[in-house]
Amino acid sequence: MKYRSLERLTIIFSWLAGLLLLTTVSLLLGYLFIKGYQSVNLTLIFGEASPMRALLLQERVFNGLFPAIVGTLVLVLLSVVWAIPIGMATGIYLAEYASPRTKRGLDAFFDVLSGIPSIVIGLFGFAFAVFLHKHYSDRIGPCLLISSIALSFLVLPYIIRTTQAALEGIPQEIRLTALALGATKVQNIFLVLIPRSLAGIMSGIILAIGRCAEDTAVIMLTGAVASTGLPRSLFSQYEALPFYIYYISSQYADRAELMQGYGASIILLLLCAVLFSVAYGIRKSLTLFALYRP
Amino acid sequence: MTPDIKIRVADLNFAYRDRTILQDVSVDFTENTITALTGSSGAGKSTFLMTLNRLWENIANAKMQGSVEIKLQDQFRDIYAADLAVTELRKMVAMVFQVPNPLPMSIRKNVAFPLKLSGERSRGLVNQKIEQALKMANLWNEVKDRINEDARNLSGGQQQRLCIARALVLEPEVLLLDEPTSSLDQASTAVIEDLLLKLKDRLTILIVTHHPEQVTRIADKVVEFTDGSIISAP
Repeated sequence: MKYRSLERLTIIFSWLAGLLLLTTVSLLLGYLFIKGYQSVNLTLIFGEASPMRALLLQERVFNGLFPAIVGTLVLVLLSVVWAIPIGMATGIYLAEYASPRTKRGLDAFFDVLSGIPSIVIGLFGFAFAVFLHKHYSDRIGPCLLISSIALSFLVLPYIIRTTQAALEGIPQEIRLTALALGATKVQNIFLVLIPRSLAGIMSGIILAIGRCAEDTAVIMLTGAVASTGLPRSLFSQYEALPFYIYYISSQYADRAELMQGYGASIILLLLCAVLFSVAYGIRKSLTLFALYRP
Repeated sequence: MTPDIKIRVADLNFAYRDRTILQDVSVDFTENTITALTGSSGAGKSTFLMTLNRLWENIANAKMQGSVEIKLQDQFRDIYAADLAVTELRKMVAMVFQVPNPLPMSIRKNVAFPLKLSGERSRGLVNQKIEQALKMANLWNEVKDRINEDARNLSGGQQQRLCIARALVLEPEVLLLDEPTSSLDQASTAVIEDLLLKLKDRLTILIVTHHPEQVTRIADKVVEFTDGSIISAP
């Protein structure tokens, strides 16, 4: 009798917790959209420039979010491109090669890395940029490259952990299948184990994309600025959506400007949604390709 | 005429996490016969199979002592010697598991997989070997029209025959089977038993089984395991 009611209570509590979560998320999204939907239009993105000509890079956008959108996209792509090979290789090493002792040591190390606040990573990136500036070239300073490297350190733990967990979660029978057919360890990893883990690894990459797109602390110290136009090279400063949102909400002059901040938030969310769907699409076709390639 | 010995196992001891699984096992297996390994579960039968293709080396906390010699290409070889690569050994001593384990790819790719592992590139030869292996496993007629379909769509019995075909495609000399029919119905079991009787002319078969009827139907010889030792080998 006592256990029955305890069980009931657990279920009710779970439902309540779920409901609370759903309500919070829908309140947040709803608030944002109601506040901001009016300001989301082509003028917000392209300012006075013609959208077509701006997209073709024939006309510079002054009063719009276009440079910030491009900046965020490039930044996310670069960071993930740096983080994926290193993170996956580390995950593979931890799951397949490391001895229990090494593993314990490195586990602690990566736990520390994932616990480092992003502002500290940003500060380190800034110090690194200053170091390069002083010792190598006057032309190096906070820039897109430094930002993306710093961000990739921020998201490395996600990719390492998901790769490792996905590989370690593969049951013994599947591990032995290819080995029993004469596969070497490397063949087994790349032909059987990794293709089977791609879904798991991709969810780590999706987390990483989200983190790169939203992080403000790292980029404001390593190269993001309020207004500079489209990023011209890896060594130039750039605009980014989260930094724009931070900037506008901390020093808006009138209501219209604040509304632009809401609009930018909506666009950042949409951008994340697009990136996530692309990543999901890649995940699906990649798994198919990895297992069925000719 | 004394029958030809294929596998010689001497003083084999095996421990997993400091628990003894096999103790002083010495046994010979004859060429072109089917030997049934029986005994209660946990008596070390499956472990014993894994000492014959060194698969246990991929399991953490396992230890083995003793010697295993197998006549490969007409020459007795210590399978734990450094001059025999473990991947080469496993191509000659194939294994089929308890639960059918096709890889998540097409029927064709599954059978071609071991060929791919050993670097075979000639498409014509690969196709020829696939057909040969599937015919040997009595599966060709059932799958020849849908060879590019996902292997996981096959029935359990067909999947297991696919796994046997995959094990046969490299033309091994020894076939190890770990309760290959325990997850199958009677009809599929009968098909696989017929298949094994047919294959006995080509290779030496060791099969772990729990069914006394299966033993009487197919085995030439029985080795019974009890608590890590062999008690009878008639």
